[in-house]
Amino acid sequence: MKVKKHKIVTQGILLLGLMIIVSACNHDKTHPGYAYMPDMYYSEAYNANSENPVFRDSITNQMPVFGTIARGKMPYPYRPKNFLDQLAAGDELVNPIIADPINLAEGKTKFEIFCMNCHGELGDGNGFLYTSKKYLMKPTSLIQPFIQNKKDGELFHIITVGSLSGLMGAHGSQIKAEDRWKIITYIRNNLAKK
Amino acid sequence: MRLLYANRMNAIKSIVFIFTLLFFLFPTNRQLKAQEGKDLFAVCAACHTIGGGKLIGPDLKGITERRNEDWLIKFIQNSQEQIQAGDKIAVQLFEEFNFIPMPPNNLSDDEVKILLSYINNPTGEAAVLQPTTEIVEPKEFVIEPAYMKKANSRNYGTIFYLALILLIIAFSDLVFTRIIKAKFVHIITMLISVFIMGEIIVVEAQSLGRQQYYQPEQPIAFSHKIHTGQNQINCLYCHTTASESMYAGIPSTQLCMNCHAVVKSGTTTGTKEIAKIFKSLESGKPIEWIKVHNNPDHVFFSHAQHVAVGKLDCVDCHGPVETMDLVMQVNDLSMGWCIECHRTQEVQFSNEFYANYKTLHEDLNSGKRSIITVDNIGGNDCQKCHY
Repeated sequence: MKVKKHKIVTQGILLLGLMIIVSACNHDKTHPGYAYMPDMYYSEAYNANSENPVFRDSITNQMPVFGTIARGKMPYPYRPKNFLDQLAAGDELVNPIIADPINLAEGKTKFEIFCMNCHGELGDGNGFLYTSKKYLMKPTSLIQPFIQNKKDGELFHIITVGSLSGLMGAHGSQIKAEDRWKIITYIRNNLAKK
Repeated sequence: MRLLYANRMNAIKSIVFIFTLLFFLFPTNRQLKAQEGKDLFAVCAACHTIGGGKLIGPDLKGITERRNEDWLIKFIQNSQEQIQAGDKIAVQLFEEFNFIPMPPNNLSDDEVKILLSYINNPTGEAAVLQPTTEIVEPKEFVIEPAYMKKANSRNYGTIFYLALILLIIAFSDLVFTRIIKAKFVHIITMLISVFIMGEIIVVEAQSLGRQQYYQPEQPIAFSHKIHTGQNQINCLYCHTTASESMYAGIPSTQLCMNCHAVVKSGTTTGTKEIAKIFKSLESGKPIEWIKVHNNPDHVFFSHAQHVAVGKLDCVDCHGPVETMDLVMQVNDLSMGWCIECHRTQEVQFSNEFYANYKTLHEDLNSGKRSIITVDNIGGNDCQKCHY
């Protein structure tokens, strides 16, 4: 009998120990897990946002070489936060977008993505970020004469490099040039005429 | 005499009453005005400070002593008119501040006076407008989302080893110790434990390389719940390339500054986490976000095809990101999952490109097919994704 009791105790201890070890085998949410064939899962080539030991600043996504211009791109000659450059942009840049229903609809979708949060659905400056008191400065109303009297090129300049006050950031990297013109066309033709 | 005394007491009482009334009324009125002035100044604070130095426009401290009130009222209401009229001070200011015009303000004379009195005496330290550093405790009753329940209840390790122990005990009793005489007990126990273990092995083997419920800690405690859920910012505002490129893209630090140049204090973490953005911007060292949704290298997947052409919503694949503080991969992103959607998802067939599919259009017109799914146009061919 004594031997049997001893056996049960050792078995119990073994079981407990196993359970402790086993609970360590459970999934860790912060670990991506394992793959069958890692060489087919993980790219040998560097991804756009991955670290890169080849370059000195260890960034894969390098800027174009200084002094070169990428195909299909034009450098933007007007300086940010400069009123004279803004006026020059207004005189020199021409809106290539015709106000037809397709362009206006696209302008509306882009306006709703990039502008509506601050400037509001009606463009009156009462965007949700301002009315919910998350953003404390009142955004400019896009339908008042101060904005409407500006030329299309000036508005394009403001969207591209940001406002003179610097409160509105540069959106040139986010919105394609064509879409910027579409947004301006939408503001002029739909919002301002309501 | 007594009557007189009583009268005098009454008089004193009423005077005291009137004074207390005035005392209570007067400050409220003043406070109201100060509040109104503060609200009006919110617009000015974009370019001006009171005693905080030059920003885009001049520092307004002591402006009422420097300038005449009538001039100020005119200038605040419409500065460009003053400049065009050739007012000396106005033109000089315009030149001094890099020809940046002050937008006209639609304010009455009285409102401008309230504003000026606020600038004269900004009660409190609200001279430079800064968001309050309130840390809001979440009060709402939080229901654990279904995906979290699933993520937490998939730890089968313990069950697997218990089944293994059961199998060993049943087997050793059957062969060696023979405590239980009826042999079918052993066989049934062994079958059950083998079944459980097999099930777990299959499930775990399937999930290998899929990263479902992967939820890594990010370098900044950025919350999608606050940004897209509470603030209703569109996903595409930050992930701009999702509609044009293979990748949805991680926004640059400069993009954060579109809002965080002003918003310097977060809803739940105060200034601690937002300070990391400024640090990254100053040092020029990019923030090393950890990618949550990974596709294996042997699969081609393009966001543009799904977002711009297929008109899918982000949440269709990424789950309810707007409810997550820390993003988790909710769907398994397995091939079965892809195929299943391609079999049921209707194609946006009005797209000009699909005019090439003439037979399908004929079928659609003749009523032979009611909808065109992705696999009808070859979306499930092997080489569409694996090449």
